[in-house]
Amino acid sequence: MNEMQETGMAAPEVAEPRGEGQPVPINAMFEGDFVTQLVLVLDTDTVDAAAQKVAAQVVGRRVAPRDAGLAVRHAGRAVPGDLTVAEAGIGPLDVVFVGWAE
Amino acid sequence: MARMAREKWYDIARDLDWELSYVDYDAVFPEWMSGQGKIPREAWASWDEPYKVTYPEYVRTQREKETGAYSVKAVLQKSKVFDQLDEGWKSVAKQHFGAVALIEDLAVYAELRMARFGLSPAWRNMAIFGTLDETRHTQISLYFPHELVGKDPQYDWAQKAYHTNEWGIIAARATFDGMMMNPNVVDVAIQLPFTFETGFTNVQFVALSADALESGDINFANMISSIQTDEARHSQQGGPTLEILVEHDPRRAQWIIDKTFWVSARLFSILTGPGMDYYTPLEMRKQSYKEFMHEWIADQFIDQISDYGLKKPWYWDEFMAGLDTWHHSLHLGVWYWRPTVWWKPQAGVSPEERDWLHEKYPEWEKQFGRIWDVIIDNVNHDRMELTLPETLPWLCNLCHLPIGTAASPSNDKYPVRSYPLKHNGYTYHFCSRPCRQIWWEDRDTLHDPTVIERLLGGDIQPPTVEGILGWMGLTPEVMGDDAYGYRWAKPYAPPPAA
Repeated sequence: MNEMQETGMAAPEVAEPRGEGQPVPINAMFEGDFVTQLVLVLDTDTVDAAAQKVAAQVVGRRVAPRDAGLAVRHAGRAVPGDLTVAEAGIGPLDVVFVGWAE
Repeated sequence: MARMAREKWYDIARDLDWELSYVDYDAVFPEWMSGQGKIPREAWASWDEPYKVTYPEYVRTQREKETGAYSVKAVLQKSKVFDQLDEGWKSVAKQHFGAVALIEDLAVYAELRMARFGLSPAWRNMAIFGTLDETRHTQISLYFPHELVGKDPQYDWAQKAYHTNEWGIIAARATFDGMMMNPNVVDVAIQLPFTFETGFTNVQFVALSADALESGDINFANMISSIQTDEARHSQQGGPTLEILVEHDPRRAQWIIDKTFWVSARLFSILTGPGMDYYTPLEMRKQSYKEFMHEWIADQFIDQISDYGLKKPWYWDEFMAGLDTWHHSLHLGVWYWRPTVWWKPQAGVSPEERDWLHEKYPEWEKQFGRIWDVIIDNVNHDRMELTLPETLPWLCNLCHLPIGTAASPSNDKYPVRSYPLKHNGYTYHFCSRPCRQIWWEDRDTLHDPTVIERLLGGDIQPPTVEGILGWMGLTPEVMGDDAYGYRWAKPYAPPPAA
């Protein structure tokens, strides 16, 4: 049997007020990859942290690692990394692009 | 006793009709089943099939075919042929059996619907023969793999697949229900016998038969070429129906053909593309998928619809460009997500195979080679966990295939991205503009939720990788793995340090 790691993905309706943020499923695309993927971020994650979650599904798996930061685009705009997902207006089912910062 | 010559009675038998006097015509042929639309009732009197057959002739011919197919099978069963078949090739057959066997059964119902609600008696008569054909195809497509279940449990999915929520099956189910079960029978005739059977099944059955013979799988080759001879006959229901529809409602004819061709092309790029360009052993490949599609689908299809005065579909350039990319993306996706399929994908990226891919698809290295290089490096450094996924690709709300696979990396015109649509407060996602447009036009039809939507909606418990695999019905002995045990990666391994 192939071993596959548990993702620990939580269903979004688990809405206990933990103070840890609500899950936000996004349609995430990483530069150079060949598919968009479901990535679960939290609305309290910084955009930088959310970008890392997207990168974890792609970098070193299908896209070679690079010594560079990550840049996020949403709704046609670059999004500052220090905003939270909620502050950036990234909502459930939104399209998010993550790429290498130039 | 002398029998009456066939030509003396045939037209009465095949085209018998009468004015209903005890029931209303509309009750017997309701619009939503019969699909009359703008076609006047009397137009159906001209429906005429090129190939005519009587029931005794049908029985005699089919009996000969059955004897031929099953006797070849019986002989081969006693041989060691199966044990010597290439493991990658076997995956072509397993994928076919799983994806197709019960769709043959679905087609029984499509034919029965036409036999009941078709508006011409000659058409209803032909559909009865079509029903018998598809019953035969279901039986043979289940009987052949059944014998192999004891040797390889993945063959069990010939029967099991459509009873599961495996993601490829959900995609196929959505497409084929939309082609055979949802529409009225006029639309079925345009979608199924005309567009899908006359066009696409040739790719699957004729090309595949040739590759099967080359690969030494005589049994499979014999089975599918036998099936295809029936197809040629019952797919002729499409032409006469289209002729009548084009005369009275060409816009409807164009739309039905356009949308069916697109969804068929999407499905074929995962059903047949990987098989032809990756799973069939290199030395056995007669043509690339693109070459075959060009010759058998693209050119022939355009000629055929032009004969009816119809135009190229609006997305034609995108479809043609997709012959260079869709199936490569889908192959990569199927291989990366290999535990989620019921066959063993053959990666097909040894150095020699990449040379072939580069020759047939000059952009392949730039678009896909780099991704495979990362995978190969992980294999050679025993980082196998990185060659397996921890999440799912987002799936298209129309074709249910991964979003990104109607495009490719480094493609400016068709970049890897979703084409979202907000409707009634909900965001739908699509792999391409054509999928999005087709969905929009058909938005009042029932739609299957994608696996992503089912996961996010809490249908899949636990919502983990193991939970997803279990929900899809994939058991440990069936989950796919690399057909060659990753040995193709060895030539890329760095030389040991001196």
